[in-house]
Amino acid sequence: MRALLNAVKTGFSEIWGHKTRSVLSFLAIAVGSVVFIDAFSAIFATYNRLQQQKAVSGMARLKLTQNSGLAYASTEDYTPPPPIQYEDVVNLREKMPELYMISPEVRTWHNVFEYGGRRMVTSLTGVTPEWIKRDYIYMLRGRFLDWHDVDNKLRVCVLMRKSALPPINGFYKSRMRQWNYTANFDTMVDHNDLLGKTVIIDGFTFTVIGILEELPYSKRPSTILGSNQDYKVLAPVTTLSHYGFVRPNQSLEVNIDTGNERTFEESIRRLKNFLKIRFGYEESGDEEYFIIENQLDLIKERIGDSIKASLVTISLGMLAFIAGGIGIMNVTLATVFARTKEIGIRRAIGASRGDIMLQFIVEAVMLGLIGGVLGSAIGYLWGVPVKVMVGMDASHIKPWMPLVSVFIAVMTAFVFAIYPAWVAAGLKPADALRAE
Amino acid sequence: MTIRCSDLVKTYEGGKAGWPALRGVSFEIKAGEFVAVTGHSGCGKSTLLNIIGLLDDPSGGQYEFNGRDVLSMSDQERSSARLGEIGFVFQAFHLLNRLSSIENVCLPMMYAGADAREMKARAASLLHKVGLKGKERKTPLELSGGERQRVAIARALANSPKIILADEPTGNLDSVSSREIVDMLFGLNAEGITIIMVTHDKEIAARARRNIRLRDGRLEQ
Repeated sequence: MRALLNAVKTGFSEIWGHKTRSVLSFLAIAVGSVVFIDAFSAIFATYNRLQQQKAVSGMARLKLTQNSGLAYASTEDYTPPPPIQYEDVVNLREKMPELYMISPEVRTWHNVFEYGGRRMVTSLTGVTPEWIKRDYIYMLRGRFLDWHDVDNKLRVCVLMRKSALPPINGFYKSRMRQWNYTANFDTMVDHNDLLGKTVIIDGFTFTVIGILEELPYSKRPSTILGSNQDYKVLAPVTTLSHYGFVRPNQSLEVNIDTGNERTFEESIRRLKNFLKIRFGYEESGDEEYFIIENQLDLIKERIGDSIKASLVTISLGMLAFIAGGIGIMNVTLATVFARTKEIGIRRAIGASRGDIMLQFIVEAVMLGLIGGVLGSAIGYLWGVPVKVMVGMDASHIKPWMPLVSVFIAVMTAFVFAIYPAWVAAGLKPADALRAE
Repeated sequence: MTIRCSDLVKTYEGGKAGWPALRGVSFEIKAGEFVAVTGHSGCGKSTLLNIIGLLDDPSGGQYEFNGRDVLSMSDQERSSARLGEIGFVFQAFHLLNRLSSIENVCLPMMYAGADAREMKARAASLLHKVGLKGKERKTPLELSGGERQRVAIARALANSPKIILADEPTGNLDSVSSREIVDMLFGLNAEGITIIMVTHDKEIAARARRNIRLRDGRLEQ
């Protein structure tokens, strides 16, 4: 123990005595540490999002859409896939009452919204009261659409009030200016209390029966399935068809929550059966009229992609560690040759081979430790305050991540110091003393 | 403490047959002796001292250090012997320049696992003994040649050795410092420590009780 303490003391004086050399050698280790923490936090962020997604919506979700990508050998063969219409959804609801949610959705873009003499562009989404069963959380003022509105094709609507964006950097700001064609609509809803007012959409009057306010970004459960669909105006799906906002052959998208993970597979089988009877749905080949997106598969796919990306980053981190280790080996070897005479002196006054090995290994491990601690500190600063400042999501850095990173840094330094230390310990005292 | 060499041979590698530094040297040194090893440059004096001090291996012959066959000793045993039984004083001092005088003196005691407080007290008393009181915190670079050699002597005495091996300890010193260092070594010999000193200086050799004279790697009695 005393030998170790003495080696640490000598190590400090060596590192302090050769600052530039020491900084260069632990810098590469520090880089490895930064990359490692970033990659680890990315992996855990993915798992965290999955857990939140599961907690909010469960896994028993499906999305049924028309397959518009069918391929045909010639134009004569072309028959468009049948559209899913509101009657089909009603039919499905009757056939499968056990499903928790069957939420049809149809969307139109670039609708002209008029209020108070001002005109602006917005986007209209046709939904039913089941839309509210989705996992997306808003604060509601007024009321949401009910079945009376849907059945009677009433011209009522619910407006979406956007929450303030999180701080974003210049690049995203300019992109948003370029693509956000409904910015005026957002400002209008934000600055005017439109609840109960009459507005005009594409020439038709609508009564605003509710305002849905988005949760602030900080309070939203993050999801990996793109929950941030940009809804602007919600109206009964039947109203949009009746007043010609959507083409008669425009298909609905249907979001389904089977409500139970255990009966999920059975629900899919029954849904396919329903589609087969209704539309002649074929399950195999390119002939499928509809696409059933399974949320579980989608989540698995996203996680797989995310883990692959993280593994690449971790590999880079490991490479940086190895590069750092080689750097430490190089510096330690150079130190051994520069201090050959000192090794001779220490051996002459009684140091054993073990003492010399310990000395060089301790010095290298100290460099690894400093590099690891420095890298972890930079990794934390980059992952939390800096990322937040530049408008990115903060990394999910757990307390054990820097510890693991420092441990790997120390172990790397230890492993790469063994050879130089062995070379140092193998020097013959008389030969070492003769060194200049 | 007895040193017994018989037919000691040391050949350095190089060339076809190598270069012979010692060609069959036999002698015995008993405890408490003051032995001067003399001879021309390149006659094998330092090689002999390195072998006696367990810093180098002989290529042939037999060497018994305090009754133990050196060739059968492990590196650990040799290190322990150097640590506890042998003290070295070199011509070039061989002090660690970034350490203070007291830290240099502490070094052998540190390897021996001494307690930090006792180690410092003993190092200070040894520096006092060699006339360096008040210079404990100075590094070797802040000391004169004579003072550096005194630090080296204090370091050699750190673990109370039975034998001190001095390789031309006055070689880099002026005449006044040389006399002081030699007097100091004779003083230590009077205290019972065996001294083996390599020297070119005939006066110093004449003061020694016994001379071992080397010529071309052989003893010249």
